[in-house]
Amino acid sequence: MNALNATKTKTASRFTWPAWGWSLIGVLGVWLCIIAVGGGNPGGPVLQALSLAPYLVLVSIGQMLVISLGPGNIDVSVGAIVSMASYVSVAVGALAGPLAGLAAAVLAGVAAALLSVIAIMLLRVPPIIATLATSLVVASATLLLADANRAGADAALRGFVNARVFGIPVTAILVAVLTVLIALALKRTMYGLSVAAIGQSTLAARKAGLRVTSTIVTTYLLSGAFAGLAGGLLAAYISPSTVLGDSYLLDSIAVVVLGGTLIAGGRPVVAGLWTGAVFFVLLSSLLNLVGWNLGAQNVLKGLLVVVVIVISSRVTKTGRSTLSRFLSSLRREPAATPTPADTPALTKENTHA
Amino acid sequence: MTQVTTLAPPPASSGAPHGAPSRIRVRGIVKEYGVTRALRGVDLDVAAGEIHGLVGHNGAGKSTLMRILTGIEQPTSGTVEFDGDGAATAATSARPGDVRMAYQELSLAPDLTVAENASLSDARRLRPLRWRAQAERRIAEVLDTVFPGHGIELSRYVGELSMAERQVVEISRALCSDEPRLLILDEPTESLGVDAMRQMYAHLHVLAARGVSILLISHRMNEVLEHSDRISVLKDGATVLTADAGDVTEDDLLVAMGGDVRGDSPRVHDVPVVGDAVAGSGERPAAGETVATASLAGASLPFEAKAGEIVGLAGLAGQGQDELLDRLWFNGLSRRITVPRRRAYVPGDRQTSGVFALWTVADNLAVAAARQLARAGFVSLKARRTLADRWVGTLSIKGGASAPITSLSGGNQQKVLIARAFATDAPLVLLNDPFRGVDVATKDELYTLMKAEAAQGRCIVWYSTENKEVAHCDRVYVFRAGRIVSELVGDEISEERVIAESFDEHQDARDARDATTKDAGAAA
Amino acid sequence: MTTLTAPRASGRSSVPTFRSRATIGAKHSAPGALSLVAMIVIFVIAVANQPGILSVYGLTLMLTAAVPLLLAAQAQMLIMSVGDIDLGIGQLVGLVTVIAATMLTTDPLLGVLALLAIVGAYALLGLLVQKRNVPSIIATLGMSFVWLGLGLQLLPTPGGQTPEWLAQLSAWRPDWIPAPVVWIVAITLVAWFLAKRTRFGTRMRALGSSSPTLSRAGWSLSRTRVLTYAAAAVLAVLAGLVLASQTQSGDVNSAGNYTLMTIAAVILGGGNFKGGQSFPVGTAFGVVTLSLITVLLGLINLSSSLQSAAQGLIVLAVLAGRVITERFVR
Repeated sequence: MNALNATKTKTASRFTWPAWGWSLIGVLGVWLCIIAVGGGNPGGPVLQALSLAPYLVLVSIGQMLVISLGPGNIDVSVGAIVSMASYVSVAVGALAGPLAGLAAAVLAGVAAALLSVIAIMLLRVPPIIATLATSLVVASATLLLADANRAGADAALRGFVNARVFGIPVTAILVAVLTVLIALALKRTMYGLSVAAIGQSTLAARKAGLRVTSTIVTTYLLSGAFAGLAGGLLAAYISPSTVLGDSYLLDSIAVVVLGGTLIAGGRPVVAGLWTGAVFFVLLSSLLNLVGWNLGAQNVLKGLLVVVVIVISSRVTKTGRSTLSRFLSSLRREPAATPTPADTPALTKENTHA
Repeated sequence: MTQVTTLAPPPASSGAPHGAPSRIRVRGIVKEYGVTRALRGVDLDVAAGEIHGLVGHNGAGKSTLMRILTGIEQPTSGTVEFDGDGAATAATSARPGDVRMAYQELSLAPDLTVAENASLSDARRLRPLRWRAQAERRIAEVLDTVFPGHGIELSRYVGELSMAERQVVEISRALCSDEPRLLILDEPTESLGVDAMRQMYAHLHVLAARGVSILLISHRMNEVLEHSDRISVLKDGATVLTADAGDVTEDDLLVAMGGDVRGDSPRVHDVPVVGDAVAGSGERPAAGETVATASLAGASLPFEAKAGEIVGLAGLAGQGQDELLDRLWFNGLSRRITVPRRRAYVPGDRQTSGVFALWTVADNLAVAAARQLARAGFVSLKARRTLADRWVGTLSIKGGASAPITSLSGGNQQKVLIARAFATDAPLVLLNDPFRGVDVATKDELYTLMKAEAAQGRCIVWYSTENKEVAHCDRVYVFRAGRIVSELVGDEISEERVIAESFDEHQDARDARDATTKDAGAAA
Repeated sequence: MTTLTAPRASGRSSVPTFRSRATIGAKHSAPGALSLVAMIVIFVIAVANQPGILSVYGLTLMLTAAVPLLLAAQAQMLIMSVGDIDLGIGQLVGLVTVIAATMLTTDPLLGVLALLAIVGAYALLGLLVQKRNVPSIIATLGMSFVWLGLGLQLLPTPGGQTPEWLAQLSAWRPDWIPAPVVWIVAITLVAWFLAKRTRFGTRMRALGSSSPTLSRAGWSLSRTRVLTYAAAAVLAVLAGLVLASQTQSGDVNSAGNYTLMTIAAVILGGGNFKGGQSFPVGTAFGVVTLSLITVLLGLINLSSSLQSAAQGLIVLAVLAGRVITERFVR
């Protein structure tokens, strides 16, 4: 027990750099730059960013959960789902009211994700291809919906997404509450434990008695649902469009990475979604402010993502895969290297003895 | 490959046998990884044309020493010299292909053909065009010389070969180059068949006669004793014994390795039950009540496991024990299996199906019991922590509950996996050969724990490849060719009996295998 | 130097016979066979719908778009054979068309240097992935922003003018054989030779299959990955040049769907995400299948809105077919 107590105090005294720390520094740096360049009210840019970031955070929550399931898991259908859901939200909203519209948008996202899930679980198609196929199907649905429907968003819903409390957008507050709930669920529920466990080793998760299949299914459906919700809200905040969600695919992955979520899976970082998304939105406004065009902005964003993964791979001392991390940890502790063959097995040789 | 590293003055020579000059001279090798000292001063001499056996328990430092000898790693201090003394050998020993090694975990790419694999590590030049044919011819020559009648197709991917064939290819790959000065074989006979094993040893003696030095690492004492000229024992990162093979017995080696077999340790008495941590723990059947049954295909005895007993699954490795455990665990759609709803599983392969590398000991330990601890879908952090602390205390897991799991030694990681299973309230616990590579003291603790758990009404089904372990079982099923051929109870249980049952009636076994394949075919 | 092989023991040599080689070779190429079947089926359906396809002109028209896609897909195949994925190849091809339509015309030397710089950037990317253990998916995704941004900088709206010699490339249309078929066969042969018949190809697959094996055999992992990335970049640059020569203009978004199409083609052709295997011929079948699907959907007068859905569902169906046949084979 002495050893246990010693470790406890050691852990408490050691400061561990949070996984989202880098993106927070990025947020502060960009914010200071904006103030320095643009002047004006220091809170202004942040409040402005907070009106766009919630949608990105919503989509990124789903992407983060999916990525945390481990290597190979990625949802490339989120962008297409956002576009489709924006039309669903408006079309159903016009018939049955804005709430029903939002609910329909979420359901449409879930339905799309269901197609991915069927492809992944039943047809054993790799997730990147399964969600790609889904995004193609969803893109068709979007085009059909766009042809059929020219309505705008419901006024009440538009009022809601533009509402502010003490200057803070209501959507930001609600999405913040949602992220807290997600963070709690990841730490405290069987689902959350299972996501992290599967991301580290699906095989071990199975052997530990976790419900692997249902966790994976739930995760992809959640990703669809969040993308659907984001689309439904964006329909009111901007307006439905067939290219509305296009940038959300790459942006959501970038936000997840910038936020410190382990790309190899097994460690979702919820707080990082906010720092990552706000950073992304702030960066765009800074670059607009200093007059960079879209091309240059993209170059900077891309280089940033690459630099961040290079840095974070060093800072967290984590590599490409759980396995390689594990192997390197074994290398540091050779005593821990289990060599199964070293123990005599019951084989034909033993009878000769 | 720079073989000479002079960081410390070499200690007095201990001399090679028969007055022959040392082909390789290792002096005072120390290797540190951070704070861990893997090697604490290894001295080793291998003469030209000598077969030198190297034995030692897990963690004795054999792998580290091999990495240094092959030049993959540099020692922290100490010297490795080739052919005589001093710097004169530095240039010659740098020649590629000087040291060849057949690795225990096999150094073969599964997606490459046999010939391609061999060409990767062949130091000789290949002609630029039609090099594949040349590479095929080279490995074919080695295979045909060393293992005549091997029957391996060279254009197959290595991943398509059986384990025994891969081992043959690995050994041949190591031989497929210029004649090395030192050949290292790490557990070369682990999965070789009897014929291939004989062929390999015959060839080793041929090579030795030609002057090749051979370092033979094996846990099979009888083989090492039979085929080596001298034997060195490595213990805790240092050579503790070097002797002529004729002068030592198997017992001498075992004692030198520190492998004394102790009785059950009385250290584990307070076994925590998940029910203590949470009120209203799940079903626990009364002792003697049948917990699980299974009927296997073919002419197999039925499998049955009762509450309160430890049931052993024995026999040669891979005779269907894994399959039974898998079926008991996953309980697919088969009606031939009855199992309780709650089950726990202790995997044998820690790396791929055991620990969660990113988590702490506590997280790893409580993950299986979390479902029972959950209330309305939420798992209390405190309850998990309490449970983990209790088990860490009970099994005295070094490092404590908040240490990262990967900072633990293999034995301690295995303790966590065992605790993970027993921390649940599952009436049926399945163990898939979990004690491979675990030190004796830890094993004794865990055996005691298992007995205590069984006494509390748990049913434990335990597949073990180590026949000594059957002594801890209440009943043992012996497997052969995918079926249960015998059931041993009480005094019938002994290592000798298990071995006898595993090998008995070869013809009968072959018939049964045919029958099983037929059954499987019919089922599909 | 003396070798270890003493006088050969009596008995036949185990150098494979032609027959065993053929049998095993057939088994090894089985994963790609399904895409061959799918290709034939779709081709037959297309011909049944529009018999005019079965002419040199018809085939040329139908397969022209497959040529740049095939080059890009073989690049993807190389990257996937070392166990990585390139999510930026679509934008990269787009950027190359932009370079072809701008710098390569106005200042050929600068244009060539820019193309070489792309290859260099890819080599660097490979080094980063190897040395810093950075996941290739994210690194290439990040680079896709960079390629897109550079393309937009050079040419904000589609247009430009490709050099004369580049236009000649796609103007070559013999009347006895469809030119795209020649290209497709030639490209596939080159990729096949590189991946399956060179020693470098062996190292590349070894890296994807089991990197410790490669390093223990004394080869540099970094060098292998860097060369693989560079080779892939060369193929991607060629894809961009061919695409530019066909469209006669530059557009950074012109190949946006290549990223996912190339991955789908490799998977269709028998590849997987594990690395270690390469299926250059299967990839070619996959590319032709995907191109034929696009053409076929146009032929049967499917509403343009539904085309992408049909494409997605067909890809899924083919992959499902592959899973099912694999289950039966084993």
